[in-house]
Amino acid sequence: MFRSVLPRAVPRQLRPVTQSTFCAPNIYFQGRLRRGYASEAEEKDLVIIGGGVAGYVAAIKAGQAGLKVACIEKRGSLGGTCLNVGCIPSKSLLNNSHLYHQILHDTKNRGIEVGEVKLNLEAMMKAKETSVSGLTKGIEFLFKKNNVEYIKGTGAFQDEHTIAVNLVDGGETSVKGKNIFIATGSEATPFPGLTIDEKKVITSTGAIALQEVPKKLVVIGGGIIGLEMASVWSRLGSEVTVVEYLGQIGGPGMDAEIAKQTQKLLGKQGMKFKLNTKVVSGDDSSETIKISTEAAKGGKEDVLDADVVLVAIGRRPYTAGLGLENIGLETDERGRLIIDQEYRTKIPHIRSIGDVTFGPMLAHKAEEEAVAAVEYLTKGYGHVNYGAIPSVMYTHPEVAWVGQNEQELKAAGVKYKVGTFPFSANSRAKTNLDTEGMVKFISDANTDRILGIHIVGPNAGEMIAEGTLALEYGASSEDVARTSHAHPTLSEAFKEAAMSTYDKAIHY
Amino acid sequence: MNATRVLLQQRQPMIRFLGKRAIPSQVDHTPHVHPASPSQSLPDSFASYRKKAQQHGPLNQSSQYSTIGGRPGSQLGPVEAGKGLHFDRSELPQRFQRLAWTQAEIEAVESGGASTYA
Repeated sequence: MFRSVLPRAVPRQLRPVTQSTFCAPNIYFQGRLRRGYASEAEEKDLVIIGGGVAGYVAAIKAGQAGLKVACIEKRGSLGGTCLNVGCIPSKSLLNNSHLYHQILHDTKNRGIEVGEVKLNLEAMMKAKETSVSGLTKGIEFLFKKNNVEYIKGTGAFQDEHTIAVNLVDGGETSVKGKNIFIATGSEATPFPGLTIDEKKVITSTGAIALQEVPKKLVVIGGGIIGLEMASVWSRLGSEVTVVEYLGQIGGPGMDAEIAKQTQKLLGKQGMKFKLNTKVVSGDDSSETIKISTEAAKGGKEDVLDADVVLVAIGRRPYTAGLGLENIGLETDERGRLIIDQEYRTKIPHIRSIGDVTFGPMLAHKAEEEAVAAVEYLTKGYGHVNYGAIPSVMYTHPEVAWVGQNEQELKAAGVKYKVGTFPFSANSRAKTNLDTEGMVKFISDANTDRILGIHIVGPNAGEMIAEGTLALEYGASSEDVARTSHAHPTLSEAFKEAAMSTYDKAIHY
Repeated sequence: MNATRVLLQQRQPMIRFLGKRAIPSQVDHTPHVHPASPSQSLPDSFASYRKKAQQHGPLNQSSQYSTIGGRPGSQLGPVEAGKGLHFDRSELPQRFQRLAWTQAEIEAVESGGASTYA
């Protein structure tokens, strides 16, 4: 009878009343005051979906600011792609494979006689896992220290303030937030026609977990990820061929002169490159994989044979299963969440940071955004300078750059000066017997303000920090040149490149 | 004379200490294009959502997002719908929506309250 009196057009889900925070004044009202406006469950100040670099940094920063924070992560360990299957494990493999390669090929001329050198890939992988687990557990500790609630599960929007969480350990829960950050990151873009099984056809995730050294490895995509992984397996004994659609390696951000020199240096290490080449199709039906290529502008065809194919053509934002359709949030043509200058989506209390939105897909960019987004929330003001975000490729020698490159400045019609300094003229590089590469400064022709710094050489990744600081402060090349740099260090090459930009280098 | 000339010739570094960082007194919180946006445009949905949405007061007020709790609720302005607009209860946050009846409540009504004492 009751139902017929009060028909409902849309049957609603029953709202679970888990726990009432309302204390009834006497026994008569106990349990009878559910129908009031008193809130039933605790609402968080901030709920973050994704415990990667963007998510966990935002969670810690918000915890430090005294907000009530929950961070939802489905992987089972914090740190996202970077810590679990990206930057960190790859750096472990790059460092250890470099050591192995150096012991094999570069000890005699240093006066070190070594006996038989053998690779124990299993132990190398274990060393990688030890670094990863140490770091991910470190974040869990930081969560506890900063009162961040860590929810292990998959979050999906139920409405604009509620996230339904499918828990990793089974069961479901939901969490409400006054503010919500989407920091779900990115995933490797698959190559049409090749099925990724992470054994024979792999992404970067599979490339850091191969059980044995492949005899022949073909890398589709000569960007940073592709070249780093190519370096690892080339050093461990694979015959590596890199196929790149563009006319240069390193992606469009790398300065053309630096890219050319890097390609030469990597080629000397045994890597083969096929630039301006398009992969047409792949056939993984037989034991080896056949990759058909042709010249990017059409024409010359070729077939490459490989035991393992690494697909490294880029990454795409990851929003699958997030329930964006439930709240009407839109993405752009590449799947990136559309945000304004304060990281807000069209729904102002829902912000988006990291790989899932605009800008380069870099962990340190995500970190900057996380801090800025929380500051917008707590202080109403944040800061990220997208013009001064460094990029580093951890091959040997390393490649690093910040700011604009020559081709970009030429296209923009900016008048500029260039100054370079080779590591072969640097004393420390000479003593280290590691003299390949150079530092290149680009500064404004009129004001001498630094516009870009590009390095290929030993320790470039660490050295670029000084360049980024100079760029952030709006320094001139003369400012850097007149700053004392310790002798003998590699950083003197940095100073001398600045000297050669506004005047002349001393040692070259 | 010469000392002055030397001083005048001294190089002025481009890096200058600007003093302690402070939050600007006026920050424009209206949505603008994100600096890294490739299209350099915001879709219309940003404006249209703000026109109709109510979050702790109307959203189309520019100075609203200073800090959390930065201003008392009474200063946020009326929460009523604009002229010619109306809000449906179902558009409000869930805590303002009608509660679904629980099975126990339905039984209580149907049994005239007897089930609550059973």
